[in-house]
Amino acid sequence: MDWATILDIGLKFVAITIAFTVVLLIVAYTVLAERRVLAFIQGRLGPNRVGYGGMLQPFADLLKFILKEDIVPDKSTRFIYFLAPVIATMAALMTMIVYPFGPETYIPLIGTIPLSIARFDVALLYVLGVTSVGVYGIMLAGWSSNNKYSLMGGLRSSAQMISYELALGLSLIGVILLAGTLDLQKIVETQSAWHGFRWFIFLHPLGFIVYLIAAIAETNRVPFDLPEAETELVAGFHTEYSAMKFALFFLAEYINMFTVSMLATTLFLGGWNVPFAEDLFGRGTFLFGLVGVIGFLLKVIFFLFLYIWLRGTLPRFRFDQLMNFGWKFLLPVALFSIFLTATLMMFFM
Amino acid sequence: MLVLLFILFAGLAIGCAIAVVAQRNPLYCAISLIGVFISLACLYVMLAAPFIAAVQVVVYAGAIMVLVVFVIMLLNVEQEERRRSRLGFLVPVAVVLAAILIAEATFIIWFVDRSPVRPLSSVSDTGLTSSIGSALFTKYLLPFEITSILLLMAIVGAMTLARRIKEIPPGAAVVPGAQVLPLHMFDPTIALDDTRAVEAHGSDEVAEVMGVPDDHDPTKRD
Repeated sequence: MDWATILDIGLKFVAITIAFTVVLLIVAYTVLAERRVLAFIQGRLGPNRVGYGGMLQPFADLLKFILKEDIVPDKSTRFIYFLAPVIATMAALMTMIVYPFGPETYIPLIGTIPLSIARFDVALLYVLGVTSVGVYGIMLAGWSSNNKYSLMGGLRSSAQMISYELALGLSLIGVILLAGTLDLQKIVETQSAWHGFRWFIFLHPLGFIVYLIAAIAETNRVPFDLPEAETELVAGFHTEYSAMKFALFFLAEYINMFTVSMLATTLFLGGWNVPFAEDLFGRGTFLFGLVGVIGFLLKVIFFLFLYIWLRGTLPRFRFDQLMNFGWKFLLPVALFSIFLTATLMMFFM
Repeated sequence: MLVLLFILFAGLAIGCAIAVVAQRNPLYCAISLIGVFISLACLYVMLAAPFIAAVQVVVYAGAIMVLVVFVIMLLNVEQEERRRSRLGFLVPVAVVLAAILIAEATFIIWFVDRSPVRPLSSVSDTGLTSSIGSALFTKYLLPFEITSILLLMAIVGAMTLARRIKEIPPGAAVVPGAQVLPLHMFDPTIALDDTRAVEAHGSDEVAEVMGVPDDHDPTKRD
């Protein structure tokens, strides 16, 4: 091992630490934002006591989760009961390593580095694979709790995720066709044309809509939050979970929201491409990188806001509506969007 | 470094594979099988075949095993009882098959060691998505299409088999809150295996279609 390798590994560790800290902070504040925005939509105040405007509320919540008593149901399958939140959180966190947070950037004292943790050929498939492994967390939690509500929640979520994963995967094929690669960094770079405005949302709009709907269903959010429909299932798959284990499920849900938003940004909204930034600062400069990272995060935050907005606006689906919608509407539309994009590409590219 | 990783994932794969066979609880077996698939995917990555690795995780760990776990959860399969006595006659067959497998593995290891073709170096693009895609759509187009048709047939077959049981006529769409009653409840001449049905909303309507006098008057109760 020479010094270059060690420096490289050290840089990777620093990158992982920074990325995870930033993401977890944003996730923590998403929870707060969700409560405040929901309160605003519903004409309430929301948590505004801890810190200025409730800014310290996430930390107070975390402290509470740590100090609460951890209750394990007597008749639960212990090993799997402990394993489930671990799988859910781990799968949610693992997808984070492939996203390009910014372009290749010159950083003073270090040199030119890519602003992503890892880069490989099948990044998009990796994201899909790891996301699909995350289903086990919810399923196993529902099964091992030995509670009928948990089991119903787990079954519902697995059925829902299998159904919407298809539409989700198919909606991405158009993007792969347009970019000609599965490497996320390259996909973002192909969107750099037209002064950083060749976003795939303009070239593949139908796929974007399908992706957005399927992604909301994949993350079990309103209006697709049937796995934890509180009016019928108490709290769904995490009914029997308390203290930090519940917090892990909660965390996994919000990280999933975040990663799904990052994927939407990367594939459809041009990732770190900010219109005219390249003309102003020039490719590879520090300012270009900074603007890129900020632009990327702002786009992701827009999606997170959209999630909260939807939660404040829409009622929940019924289960048969959910299944009909997924299989009989979303899937054909996704297939049609592939057909449309491929045909248009043949004639115009 | 690579050797250490290989030992780690190969050991994990073998351990999980043993657990698949040795575990009593079907769900533990399923989880161990997922472990096998994921360790194999890691081994594929080390063999410079990232596409196969990703597909292994997406298809096997992410789709097929989800269905298996789903079925286990849905049927609530109890712990497997000791069935050694009933399946005892299979033991000699298993021994013979294991012997053949070991012989095969030994032969392959021996053969590969002596063959002049060395394995590809880790830097090669045969495992990349684009090269697999272009190979599938040019050199291996016919086998690829035949496989697709085979899969399509399997899907259609599964659908036909699954849908054969229930036969609700177009007039009796199932509405939430409605009760679907088989027709033989009303007419003794209709055979029991006739699955046609009528639908009714609420107990009053059920009483009406069944011809039961509707005498539930709240004032007449006790």
